[in-house]
Amino acid sequence: MSPAPVADAASLLRQHRESLGRMPVTLRAFIGMEADKWPTFFAPEKAYLTALLESLASPAAVHVLTGVTLVEAEAGCRDVKESDPHRLHDATQLLLRRHGLLPRWRHEIDQVFQALQPGIDLALYPADAPRRVVVVLYGQGIAIQRDKLWARLRGIGRRVPLRLENVTGTEPFLRALFASGSPGRVSPSFGLDPADAWIVEAGETLHALCEAAMAPATGLSHARLRTYREALARSLYKKVLEGVSGPQELAAYVRELDLAPPEGALLRSDAVVRAFVRDVLLGGNGALLVNNTFVEWSSVQALKRAQPRLLVARFGVRDKMKPFSSLLLFSSPRPTDQVPIVEDPFGSFVDVEQLAYYVWLNAEKSAAYRGKTLYLFLAEGVDEMLALRPHAPEAPDAAGDLPAATLSEVSSTIAGWLGAAPGTLGAPPIAALAG
Amino acid sequence: MPFLLDRRDVLRGAAALLADAVLPRRTLASAEATETRAIVVTFGGGVRWEDTFAPEGWPNIPHLVNDLVPQGLFFPEARYDGLTGHFNATGALVTGCLQNVDAYGSEAPTTPTVFECFRKERRLPAEAAWVVASNKSFGLLGGSKLRDWGDPCAANVILPKHFLLQAIRSAVATSEGPGVEDREALAKRMVSSLDEGYEGFGWKVHETGREIGKEVRATLAKSLLDYFNDPLVPTSGDELTYFMTMEIMSRLAPPLLLVNFWDIDVAHFGAYSLYLEAIRRTDRLVHGLWQHAQSLPAYRDRTTLIVVPEMGRDGDPSGNGFQNHRSGDESCRRVWLLAAGAGVPHGLVSPRLIRTLDVAPTVARVLGFKMPEGQGRPLSELAF
Repeated sequence: MSPAPVADAASLLRQHRESLGRMPVTLRAFIGMEADKWPTFFAPEKAYLTALLESLASPAAVHVLTGVTLVEAEAGCRDVKESDPHRLHDATQLLLRRHGLLPRWRHEIDQVFQALQPGIDLALYPADAPRRVVVVLYGQGIAIQRDKLWARLRGIGRRVPLRLENVTGTEPFLRALFASGSPGRVSPSFGLDPADAWIVEAGETLHALCEAAMAPATGLSHARLRTYREALARSLYKKVLEGVSGPQELAAYVRELDLAPPEGALLRSDAVVRAFVRDVLLGGNGALLVNNTFVEWSSVQALKRAQPRLLVARFGVRDKMKPFSSLLLFSSPRPTDQVPIVEDPFGSFVDVEQLAYYVWLNAEKSAAYRGKTLYLFLAEGVDEMLALRPHAPEAPDAAGDLPAATLSEVSSTIAGWLGAAPGTLGAPPIAALAG
Repeated sequence: MPFLLDRRDVLRGAAALLADAVLPRRTLASAEATETRAIVVTFGGGVRWEDTFAPEGWPNIPHLVNDLVPQGLFFPEARYDGLTGHFNATGALVTGCLQNVDAYGSEAPTTPTVFECFRKERRLPAEAAWVVASNKSFGLLGGSKLRDWGDPCAANVILPKHFLLQAIRSAVATSEGPGVEDREALAKRMVSSLDEGYEGFGWKVHETGREIGKEVRATLAKSLLDYFNDPLVPTSGDELTYFMTMEIMSRLAPPLLLVNFWDIDVAHFGAYSLYLEAIRRTDRLVHGLWQHAQSLPAYRDRTTLIVVPEMGRDGDPSGNGFQNHRSGDESCRRVWLLAAGAGVPHGLVSPRLIRTLDVAPTVARVLGFKMPEGQGRPLSELAF
């Protein structure tokens, strides 16, 4: 049974005031900090926090929490008098660290979540929850090595030969793939609510297709966010030049930065998505600097936080690092610099093989996707794809046993899997992959 | 490209002048007084087993696999159990004790380092122990701040990559003048920066008199010119670390040297190919350093080399993948260690589980000095 939705964090905390008072102080700090983020939460995150609180308030949780309570008592955490969750968190973490109890505390916290998570998952993602699709695309220009393609997923998927017919070039490939089950009716969002259809790409071709087709989706394009990325990088570089004591100070500075993506950079630009983009760019390793890292990190975060029913992750060609100046994080090139931008198609292939694998791995870590998701891996211009279907005893990598499919048939398969209404002129879905 | 060659020739000429006029070829008396020498090289940033010594990783470390392992002793099962930040991981390696200090290097190790123990017991001058580190936060790695220890017996620490970054930053600060494409201008900028004082670069060079100041300066200047003149046109921080280490070995011959390569940490950018490229570069530079040691009378046949990653990186399924080293999973913990040279049996693999904490006491045994009781134990497989 899903937890009842709550209008705001304050109501949620009021509802659970009593159990919060009994809770280990470090968990209370965590809940408080999460509640502070409520305005920037996607719906699944709100549902998760609600379910977590209900689970922690249940009588069964008392025993589960004993270990954490004991560690806290040993460190003196329970003597900290602080109402602000952030300050409470900092003070208790400091005490745990000082007493050398951080590893034990982490272990105990892990135990709590291991015990509670199955129940929470069951409440939030019942067996009859809607099915999902993740499409991972390698854009044209990446130097595909056919013998190594999707090597990390070898043995767990099914290779499907594709009949590309007259489809050459990026745009025709994408048009055919996202025909939404009806040739001529391009809709990369397959008619889903924009919150449920996410497109993350290094370039912007899919964004343009969405706009042309007036197909509403949540879209993040590394290319379209260029001016925003540059503004963020400039701010960070300025701060670095002024001097920072370490990454923590830089992170604190970043939290206060008041910058937003410019109008038109995002397909859907509400406050939650804008906050998401900012978090991704500033919190995700090289997401600010490297297009494919941006695609992977945004996808992983979207899977974790927004949990869309359809995620399309489209990788591209990464630029090579520039001699010397690339060592200088967040710096901008000088107008007088002569070193040209050079693409790295071979390195990009090595990168996306690993990153595509991480997208799949992270989706499978989530109960929202595990056992309910069709994964399709395609490379533009390549006449095969890799498909992973839940609960299917796949013949490892056997491509020969399936008839070649057209991109329209792939499109119909996606539409069918999502339960989208097929077009009257639509191609049939691929029988071996249909649910 | 006659113009470029001419400019390079000018730099080469300057390097030669420096070498002949400023640097009389000699090794330090302190170094001569020590029979054996130890060089510890870290794969800083951390590498995963699967990207190095697992069969699928062998193409990334051809020199270790084909050249060094056959001449040395390899421990495939090594472990690091401490905090998975760079400073604490390498701090554990140089002290033999797990460290729990600021992850970004604002605090010194809390137990005596191998450098302090060595210099103090043997009453050696500052130039006997060096840390050459690409990681800019390693300025305090050369010694603890403990009473009776610390600066008077700490290692000299230089941070070549940080130095390079300062020069690049300065070169791109305005649109005027030569940028980073002009290697000659960058070299000149860096050589002249050496006169402005080391503290600005986060270095700790514990001078024992005016003489060594000049000598160190000239050594580093020479290495800079070598770096910028090299026909391979190197641009990475680790390559500068390599050139500076080679020149310190050639001119100062310290008996104890820790070299930290760190390009591998580019993994945080999320580009797997760049991470693998950095591993391959580190492999090449380690081999180059060892060959260089064999070419120098001060090191040949009396040097023990230890190569070890400071830690691993996250595993794919259980952690966050190669990009990070924060999950504390097994992939973060499991490393390897390779020893070669003096006192090391050839071509052996030891199945024994060891720890990176064992490096410091092993170096102490190799060089014949005592370390306070710590958590590490000397590697008994090495003949002392």
